[in-house]
Amino acid sequence: MGSPSPQTPAPQAAAADRRASQPATILLVDDEPVARLSTAHRLRRLGYTVLEAEDGARGLKIIRKVRPDLIILDWIMPEMDGPTVCEAIRNDPALSSSQIILMTANDRPEQIAEGLARGADDFLSKSASKQEIAARVQAGIRASALVRQLEHTRDDLRAKQAELEEDLHSAARFVESLLPPPGSPAPGLHLSWHYRPSLNLGGDLFGVTPWGPEHLGLFILDASGHGVSAALRAASLIAFLRSTDLLKVVGSYDPGRILTETNRRFPMTADGDYFTLWIGALHLPSRKLTYATAGHSGAVLCRPQAAAQWLARPSLPVGFDPAVVFAGDSVPLQPGDRLFLMSDGIYEPLSPGGEVWGKARLQQVLEQEAARPMDELITQCFQSARLWQGAEHFADDAALVGLELAA
Amino acid sequence: MDTTAVFDLSEALARVDGDQELFVTLAELFLQESPKEFAAVRAALSGHDSAGLASAAHKLKGSVIQFCAPRLFESVKHLEALGRQENLAAASSVCAAVDTQLAELHDALRQVMKGGFPL
Repeated sequence: MGSPSPQTPAPQAAAADRRASQPATILLVDDEPVARLSTAHRLRRLGYTVLEAEDGARGLKIIRKVRPDLIILDWIMPEMDGPTVCEAIRNDPALSSSQIILMTANDRPEQIAEGLARGADDFLSKSASKQEIAARVQAGIRASALVRQLEHTRDDLRAKQAELEEDLHSAARFVESLLPPPGSPAPGLHLSWHYRPSLNLGGDLFGVTPWGPEHLGLFILDASGHGVSAALRAASLIAFLRSTDLLKVVGSYDPGRILTETNRRFPMTADGDYFTLWIGALHLPSRKLTYATAGHSGAVLCRPQAAAQWLARPSLPVGFDPAVVFAGDSVPLQPGDRLFLMSDGIYEPLSPGGEVWGKARLQQVLEQEAARPMDELITQCFQSARLWQGAEHFADDAALVGLELAA
Repeated sequence: MDTTAVFDLSEALARVDGDQELFVTLAELFLQESPKEFAAVRAALSGHDSAGLASAAHKLKGSVIQFCAPRLFESVKHLEALGRQENLAAASSVCAAVDTQLAELHDALRQVMKGGFPL
């Protein structure tokens, strides 16, 4: 997170204040020295700081260096005439918002149209009266000040946006640091997962953690909403589930009791935010999996030569009712079994026509491609989901976690 | 010499907000620069370069306009137009007129600078 600095004004704002207290700067580009001296003197008498250039190329150099508030260009100059300088300014993103007055001896409509088309903001006749010069220059300076103000505001907004994005990236890195390392969380078990956070920081997290010497805790949660707030709430819940005090606090590693305690500790927020959560506890000596669900779509158990089995029961999400008691179910795992935990983001992509990919299609891929190594199978599920939505990025966090028991 | 027939001193002074010192500076610069600018006009004419003539006459016009010398200004403007029209045949006589009128303005300016400004 960025550190606040209320005492120090932003550099752009300081530059704007500095400019505001100084007379406006006008660059006058005219190859004729007598006319240039005369006009420059008139402008200085009006209180402006005047810079002079005798041709377009020198003028452009000064513009790039100084960014004058107003540029007055003679139309006809050798090599690079006024309209050509105008075009060069408009084509340079760093200079394109400059205010330009073209000086001309002619004021034919077609010439004015050409000047406007090539980038001039206004025109000034060489025989203009003192009053007209003052009025046109003043109008140009006023427009320039407004443009500068807009540019400063835009720059401030961009800087703040960049800071916010960095905060989001930083939070995303933190979330990623909480994910379990792939590999072997316990003898005879292989863990593999793929996680694609959505473009906005999401609130999906999962964990695989030892609960005492005999249990392996498995959980996947989805904090409602997106952004830093959802990620922080998710991280806070993960911290609770990974706590070494969990047994002391809950009294057992039974997922139903853990979920009941979680529900008591994480009530719905004032903004209506809540969690869905699936918790499993694998008893390592017996390979018995006990699990409980709070509003989550659950996990799926895939066994060799058998239909996939969804491990979930209808239930309220965490935080809806502090009095609810969550019950667990259990299933014995066997060698060769694969248990998949998932976030809804993996099976909820919409096709371009608006149809949800769905759990059934995900299950189909898991069953049909069951012969593949688990890493490849998980990758295949993501590819199928992407193919369905016709896009690379997922609208929601997409996670698929696989735990395989060695055959 | 009657300078008023050549240029309007009061109007020219008004263009520089009555700043006599600046007027003298401009006049000195004009006396220094305008012969070069007129030489460029002549060179373009003798080189049959219409575009060059228009461009050189335009530059001279920019300096002449500062002194409110209507006859010279119109002649230089005419010369610029002839250059644009590629009418070099007609330009020679206008160029001769510019030569004379420019010399008159030089004299008139020198006279003002030497004799001082009328009260």
